[in-house]
Amino acid sequence: MFETVLIANRGEIALRVARTCRELGLRVAAVYSTEDRDSSVVRFADQAVCIGPGPARHSYLYLPAIMEAARQTGADAIHPGYGFLSEQADFAEACEAEGLTFVGPPPSVIDRLGDKSTARAAMADAGLPLLPGTIEPVSDAEAVAKVAADIGYPVIVKAVAGGGGRGMQVVHEPDNLARQYREIRSTAQSLFGDDRVYVERYLPSARHVEVQVLCDSHGNGVHLGQRDCSVQRRRQKIIEESPAPGLPRGLVEQMGHAAVRGLLAAGYVGAGTVEFLVDEQHRFYFMEVNCRIQVEHPVTELTHGVDLVREQLRIAAGERLDMSQAELTARGWAIECRINAEDPARGFMPTPGRLTALELPAGPFVRVDTAAVAGGRISAAYDPLLAKVCVWAPDRPQALARMRRALAELTVEGPGVSTNRDFLLTALDHPLFVAGTHDTSLVDRLTDPHTREES
Amino acid sequence: MTSLIEPAPTDGAAPLAEALDEVRRSAQSLLADLGHRPRALRIRAGDVVVEMEWTEQQQAPAATPPAAVAAPPARPEAEPQAPPPPPGIGISSPIVGTFYRAPEPGATPFVSEGDHVRRGQQVGIVEAMKLMIPVEADADGRIVAVHATDGAPVEFGERLMTIDPQAG
Repeated sequence: MFETVLIANRGEIALRVARTCRELGLRVAAVYSTEDRDSSVVRFADQAVCIGPGPARHSYLYLPAIMEAARQTGADAIHPGYGFLSEQADFAEACEAEGLTFVGPPPSVIDRLGDKSTARAAMADAGLPLLPGTIEPVSDAEAVAKVAADIGYPVIVKAVAGGGGRGMQVVHEPDNLARQYREIRSTAQSLFGDDRVYVERYLPSARHVEVQVLCDSHGNGVHLGQRDCSVQRRRQKIIEESPAPGLPRGLVEQMGHAAVRGLLAAGYVGAGTVEFLVDEQHRFYFMEVNCRIQVEHPVTELTHGVDLVREQLRIAAGERLDMSQAELTARGWAIECRINAEDPARGFMPTPGRLTALELPAGPFVRVDTAAVAGGRISAAYDPLLAKVCVWAPDRPQALARMRRALAELTVEGPGVSTNRDFLLTALDHPLFVAGTHDTSLVDRLTDPHTREES
Repeated sequence: MTSLIEPAPTDGAAPLAEALDEVRRSAQSLLADLGHRPRALRIRAGDVVVEMEWTEQQQAPAATPPAAVAAPPARPEAEPQAPPPPPGIGISSPIVGTFYRAPEPGATPFVSEGDHVRRGQQVGIVEAMKLMIPVEADADGRIVAVHATDGAPVEFGERLMTIDPQAG
């Protein structure tokens, strides 16, 4: 095992990783920008290094600064968390070059699976079902029109280098295709520096179901069940649960095995997630692979009793998985709600600012992952995630009741600061969500007055 | 693939938030350089103007102790705070790395205490991942103190030297 782990991240995930490192007896090295000087992980860490000013591109995304911090702290491993540099093959390569262990898959695997085109090809080769569409990027408007006509509208045009819900557009009408194709290419170029796009059929009422996988460096892989992340606003998840409600047991196993097979075939090492869309007929289609720990990982930890960050570190240290698929069964039900500092009444505009009061939910079977403290500040420089409130219960109705209770305990106060708490409560009470039959259109039903009546 | 961290800005919010941020950063660095607190401060960035006044009693409200994190373990950095830097203009490290006072080992340092420097003059080097990043004087003046030793690890923003601009 390692001696010192540098955590190349901030906020709740940096603190969450630091806690497991401490439990494993590893020295914790944190990095921070000038914005985060007073952050929780800086206080928690054994050592902390200031790596740059607030803007992420000059600090958390700035490779030379992170590598210098690793050198200064004598780290022998780097945990990238999620976002920032976590899925940059260059970063994993730089770690290798400096003799550091990158806690994640090998750079070549990140490269292949981070590019949606090669990822789709790899998963198709491993026998995973794909939505009708192109595997190779489509390079001109005419070709796109032909493909779209073949697979039928609506289609979704996605950036090959996209991810995290950015760099994609749904095209409903052939008349709009040429314009939207141009738009998405220019967006992709500016966001990812890569304007290649591909096309696939768009499922308006699909569910977003993902499978958590662990692969060690000895060719063993297991899955830890599913997470349903269908409650999304503009493709950003806000409520996640494990297991996925209402899926037949056979399908759960089929998807789990497909995910493990796909990642092992790709040479994956570490914790990874395979995202699928599931349609009304319970057919599933591969969507993408996330080569990192995910924001919503706690719901899997709660249902499976496994510390995923501990497993990441053990795997990175070359140890073997010490669990078999047969031992891994989901117990009960877990739900996560993402509390964002944003104002639903003003188009979900972020509301950064100082927190004058913060009371977090607690009590039986409640877990809150946060780096926020009363007196601290939600920075405008980063994403507005304030806390992840997670609950566990023996079944879904009890988990829902527990989540309502927990959210009601939350108090966040500060000048100009508001949260999406009440919006989450509304979503939790929606008949479709209560019934577990909702799909990715749920939030639109809540926010779009046009469709509100029919819900 | 950094979208989780930097979500697409909501219409209209980002420029304002950025401007506010800019104002706050400018204020922080200005106050840090002053060494004492003025009675009033007015800063403008784009359309945003912030004005502040301090009362004579400058006690900031005590921050509520953190609830989410247990008492931190003893850290090497947690030693008593260093004495406040001398008044003057600080030259800060532009990056985390290793500080060098001379262009190469054994060579004469770029500057020494007492030297007069011009704004923009190179006074040191910080090496980060084999990148040699020049450190430059922020103002005309006299070097009154060199805080970092040659070859020392430095963090971003760490004060390396202090210039007395009056002595320029």
